[in-house]
Amino acid sequence: MDTPRLSHSAALILKALSLGYCFGLDVMEVTGLPSGTVYPALRRLERDELVESKWEPEEEAAAKQRPARRYYEVTRTGKAAALAATERYPLLAHLVAEKR
Amino acid sequence: MMRPALPSPLPIFDRGLLRAVEKIVPPAEREEWSRTWRAELWHMHHRGRRTQPPGMIADLSIGLTQDALWLRKESWRRALDGTPTLCLATLLGLSLLSLLMALALTGGWSSLSLYLDAQLKRAMLEAPLVVFVMFATASRRPMEERSSSMKLCWIRRQMFFAAEVAMVLLLTFLLSADICHPIHRPWPATADLLQIFFFVVLSLVGLRWAFRDQEERCKQCLCSLAMPARVGRPSHNLLEWNGMELACKQGHGRLSVPEMETSWCQSSRWTNQQPEWRESTSI
Repeated sequence: MDTPRLSHSAALILKALSLGYCFGLDVMEVTGLPSGTVYPALRRLERDELVESKWEPEEEAAAKQRPARRYYEVTRTGKAAALAATERYPLLAHLVAEKR
Repeated sequence: MMRPALPSPLPIFDRGLLRAVEKIVPPAEREEWSRTWRAELWHMHHRGRRTQPPGMIADLSIGLTQDALWLRKESWRRALDGTPTLCLATLLGLSLLSLLMALALTGGWSSLSLYLDAQLKRAMLEAPLVVFVMFATASRRPMEERSSSMKLCWIRRQMFFAAEVAMVLLLTFLLSADICHPIHRPWPATADLLQIFFFVVLSLVGLRWAFRDQEERCKQCLCSLAMPARVGRPSHNLLEWNGMELACKQGHGRLSVPEMETSWCQSSRWTNQQPEWRESTSI
C-alpha cells in the first residue's frame, strides 16, 4: 500500500506520536503547534488510520486522582508514513526529541 | 453513557465554553468529544511540573472549537460525499459564481440582461444541437438490469441526469459569456463567434463528464460508486472476463464494466446486492 503524503505539520505530529508523546497536550508542547492545528490533525490522522485513539483505564486514572485521558498510538501504516515523512522532511528527526 | 466525575471541577469559563461549543458537534460524537475535552482542560489546569504558558487557555479554547468544527464538517462530508444533491449543489454554486462574475464584468443587472439576452437566444439553438451530437457520439455502454423492480430508480436516474445536463449547459453558457465579455465592446462579431466556440467546446467536455458521472453512480441511491478494482487479466481476454468493478458505498450493488466488448460480455452489468448482505458490505 502507498504511504500517504503528509503536510509538514501532520508529519511533525506523527513524528511526535511515534516518539512517545501520546497526549494532545504533550504533542502541542513538544511541537510548538497551536491546538487548533494539533487536534483536527489528530482526527484526520485517525480517520486515515495512521493513528488510533484509546482511553486510559478508568481505574488507573482514578488511582492517580485524575480523569482518564484519550491517548494516541501510531498504527503500522502510520509508522511507515512517519518513516516516509522523515525521509521527505529530513529536519523532522531533529525537531522532536525522543521522550525520556 | 455516564460522564465520569472529575476529581475537581473545571473553572466556570471552561464549563460554559464546553457547553456552548458541544452544540456544534454531531450528537453521536458529542459525549466522547465532551469527555475528551473535559480531561484535556483538567490536565492543563493541573500541570504541576510546569507553569502554564500565557495564552494556553485561549489557545485550547480555539483548539476545542476547531475540533468541534472539524467533526461537524466531517459528518457533513460523510453524509454528502458523492450524493446527487452535492453534485447538483456544486454545479448550481458554480453557476451562481459565474453569474456574479458576469454581473461584475457588465456593471449592473440591466446591462447584464442586455448582454445575456442576445447570447441566450443563440444558446437556445446551440444547446439542443450540442446535446444531440453528444448523445449520438457518446460511448454510452448499454446497461443490463436484472431486476424489474428498478423502474422507479430508473425514473429517478433519468431525472437526475436531465438536471445534471441542464446545470452543465447553464454553467458552460455563463462561463463562455464571461470569457468573451472583455472583447465584446471592441469586436462584437469576433466575441460572438468566440462565445459560440467556447460554449460548444465547454458543453461537450461538460456533457462528456456528465455521461461518465452517470455511469459511475449507484443505480439505486445515485451516489458515486467507490472502491474501483481491476478484475481479470487483459492477456486472458478471450478466455475470461476482464475489466473494472465498482461498488456502492451503501452496499446496494456492484457495477462490472468490461474492458473490451466481447460477444459474451457486451455491456456493463449492474448487480443488486441482497438486502441481507448490505450490512456487511456497506462502508
